[in-house]
Amino acid sequence: MAGTSDWLDIRGWMESIVGWSMDQVHDLLPSSDIGLGPIGSINPQSGFSNIQGALETFLFTTIMCTIVFATMMLTLMVVPYIERKFIARLMDRLGATTSLRSLWIGEGHTTAGQWWNQLPFGIGAPIGWINGILNSTFGNKSKHVAVDRVHNRGYHGIWFLFPGFFQALADFLKFATKEHMVPTKADRLVFEAAPVIIIATTIMVYAFIPFGPHIWAANPELSLVFMMAVFGVAPLGVFFAGWSSNNKYTLIGGMRSAAQLTAYEIPLLISVLAIAVISGSFNILEIVDFQIETSNTWNLFIMPLGAALFLITMIAEVERIPFDMPEAEAELVEGWWTEYGGIRWGLMFAVEMMRAYAACILFALFFLGGWQLPFEDTLVGLPYIGVVFDLLANATPGMVVLLLKAYLMFAFFVWVRASLHRVRTDQILEFGWRWLLPASMVNLAIAIWLRLEVWDSTVSGGWPVWVVPVLFGSFIIAFIVLALDEDEETLELNRRMYHTQTLEKASPGTHRD
Amino acid sequence: MAEMWISMGPQHPMTHGLWTLKVKIDGETVVDTEPDLGYIHRGVEKICEARDFTQITTYCDRLCYASANTWSHSYIYAAEDLLGVEVPERAEYIRLIAVEIQRIASHLMWLGAYGPDIGNLSVLVWCLRERELMMDLLQELGGSRMHYNFPRIGGVKRDLPYGFSQRAQAKLKLFLNRIQEYEALFDESTVFLVRSQGVGYAKPEEMINHGVTGPNVRAAGVDYDIRWSHPYSVYSELDWQPSVERPSIKGADCYDRYRIRVEEMRMSASMVLQALDKMPGGSETYHEPGDPKILAKAPSRAPEGTYGSHHFEDSRGESMFYIAGGGEGRGKMPYRVSIRSPMFITIPYASKCMIGYKVADIPAIMGSFDPCIGETDR
Repeated sequence: MAGTSDWLDIRGWMESIVGWSMDQVHDLLPSSDIGLGPIGSINPQSGFSNIQGALETFLFTTIMCTIVFATMMLTLMVVPYIERKFIARLMDRLGATTSLRSLWIGEGHTTAGQWWNQLPFGIGAPIGWINGILNSTFGNKSKHVAVDRVHNRGYHGIWFLFPGFFQALADFLKFATKEHMVPTKADRLVFEAAPVIIIATTIMVYAFIPFGPHIWAANPELSLVFMMAVFGVAPLGVFFAGWSSNNKYTLIGGMRSAAQLTAYEIPLLISVLAIAVISGSFNILEIVDFQIETSNTWNLFIMPLGAALFLITMIAEVERIPFDMPEAEAELVEGWWTEYGGIRWGLMFAVEMMRAYAACILFALFFLGGWQLPFEDTLVGLPYIGVVFDLLANATPGMVVLLLKAYLMFAFFVWVRASLHRVRTDQILEFGWRWLLPASMVNLAIAIWLRLEVWDSTVSGGWPVWVVPVLFGSFIIAFIVLALDEDEETLELNRRMYHTQTLEKASPGTHRD
Repeated sequence: MAEMWISMGPQHPMTHGLWTLKVKIDGETVVDTEPDLGYIHRGVEKICEARDFTQITTYCDRLCYASANTWSHSYIYAAEDLLGVEVPERAEYIRLIAVEIQRIASHLMWLGAYGPDIGNLSVLVWCLRERELMMDLLQELGGSRMHYNFPRIGGVKRDLPYGFSQRAQAKLKLFLNRIQEYEALFDESTVFLVRSQGVGYAKPEEMINHGVTGPNVRAAGVDYDIRWSHPYSVYSELDWQPSVERPSIKGADCYDRYRIRVEEMRMSASMVLQALDKMPGGSETYHEPGDPKILAKAPSRAPEGTYGSHHFEDSRGESMFYIAGGGEGRGKMPYRVSIRSPMFITIPYASKCMIGYKVADIPAIMGSFDPCIGETDR
């Protein structure tokens, strides 16, 4: 297994803890037979050793599931935080927590309200002192800040970053305390079942996602197939939700979700299939293993086209801008979400984050080498300073590397969201069928060719030096040629060029009556 | 799917205000539309009959929340026509500066609202960031952020404050740079182009028949800008051209209507910069409020049987006030005030433009016509 040198061996630790405690239980039990009268006699110790293996497996799996779920939920809190902060930076604003921040650090040594002075018996005085210290240390006192305010450039210090991390918890508490309402004419059974379908399948996806070489809950041989199947159930729940709410907006949202599904799900599955083909396995751990051990190259460099396809279709799968037509707030007022409120809405919103997070982790696993540090082998192989990188690679847990890559991908998602508009349903259908599907077939053909020619034909498993640079370079060149084409003639033909027309200038008095 | 009616509004993100658009859809295609206006009719015209000529200015400010200054100026010109006031030239320049800055702010509000209409929120924040610069300038002139009550019959409330022209020049030059950011976000984005090009065609001859004016009709190649074809104020003294798009044979689409407003913002900024240079007496001198150089004496009563009206190029089209003088029995109050609102005429036409397009195009088309319901319902 890849990355066995990772010291964060949670599975190993748990396995030995469970095994040790079961052994202790085994030893505590009386070793002599106990007579049970007419039934016969029973030996607790030997009886326990019959079921000890099954019990250990059960306990161990339960503990690992809990650990993976807790890891997922705790690290998920970073995702809305990234979304909020990064998009605030992109939009050149401080984000939703400006008001919170202004409680303790004001602009130019003044705070929004000195609420601590209103507390009885002066118990708020220490807060005022701390505030004063913070103000004098981190507050805005220079003239530049005033200029920045005029130019509407925000103050982005270290204190810009921290507040807002626990906003997700506050939001959750708000949703949890709200009333649960079901529309009178809704199909109540389906209406209540739809969030359960969406939430349950999304959490189930994480059963197969490894957070590190030794942190995963389940690893069946066909984990990739199972996971993609589970991933595709949620749009069905969306359709149920849209239909059962008995609202025209939710109905259109659900219909759009179902229509969109066919357009992106097939290219997604074919690009995932290409990954399986090139790695020679349907197992996620072995796909990572392939990149680290066999090919020594991340899949991103082997099949950049596949990475682009996977990214685009995953953005559509998790319903983010530019492919969030089912919940288009401009025309459908949040589409299929419209009738949900309270904790169901909150959970489904969390699930949307979870799905985006899962997509990011999957991209890191499939294309960015999983828990391998970037250029790890090259850096370790360097003379003299390679030792330092070796130490670094051994000291860094695989989970940290993987999650950093995933967060980077999520920042990319946010970037896309901040810079693109929403496409129309007919446009995503056309894009999916006309471009994504043929491109994914081409990608699959490339993957099959690489598999047959590069890995299976050479006995030594050798990787010809020219393949990666040639493939990656040709992709980049094709991208530049196709996407950055500034040819005047093409522009004139494909795009309508509009110029502001300058008509005859008004001379004073000519048109005055 | 069977055809069905959807009632979009009165509370709907597409409406940009308070009105209802009933849409008949067949699947995703719009088959029929029916606008339903009048939710915030306040009877401004009737209220004005019980106010004297000075008080009406504040009511006209409240006709449009996004473009208050243009509406009060629109009224002021009609009132001056009624009362026969000759306005000092310096005051005209100050008015031009105030109106054009307001036009930039209004178009920025439109562009900012158009981004969320087709799914991008960054545009909203970016545009409001620059609108804030314009609001600060207008606040220096009028004293408040939204309803300025700046013009007076015969002039303006006060002169340009000290340092205003430096600040205005710096901010407008910054703004002219920042327009390029919007163009990078809009024009260079293929997603925006496929969303706006070929969507919501409006034919120029149909628009003229319906009475649509302003940027919407200039986007279709109709060269009709009141500031240019019937110049009032000091527009004929400045070096500028109206922005007119060259449309396709089918008419103007959403992209044309977007381009025209961006070009108008550029043109307005250059007009303000020119006006600051050419202002008689210089833009750095300051006169006390009430100085005859910025405020002429105006009669407070209009004789019976006199009428005043004025065409005015509002941010959204041709606005017009018609005022009938009251005479002895009415005191200082007008006998009748009538307002021509450009959006009241444009919205029914824009609703018809949507037929045949997709549901997702409804906000894209409606937003591109820049509806403002405050002036529509009056």
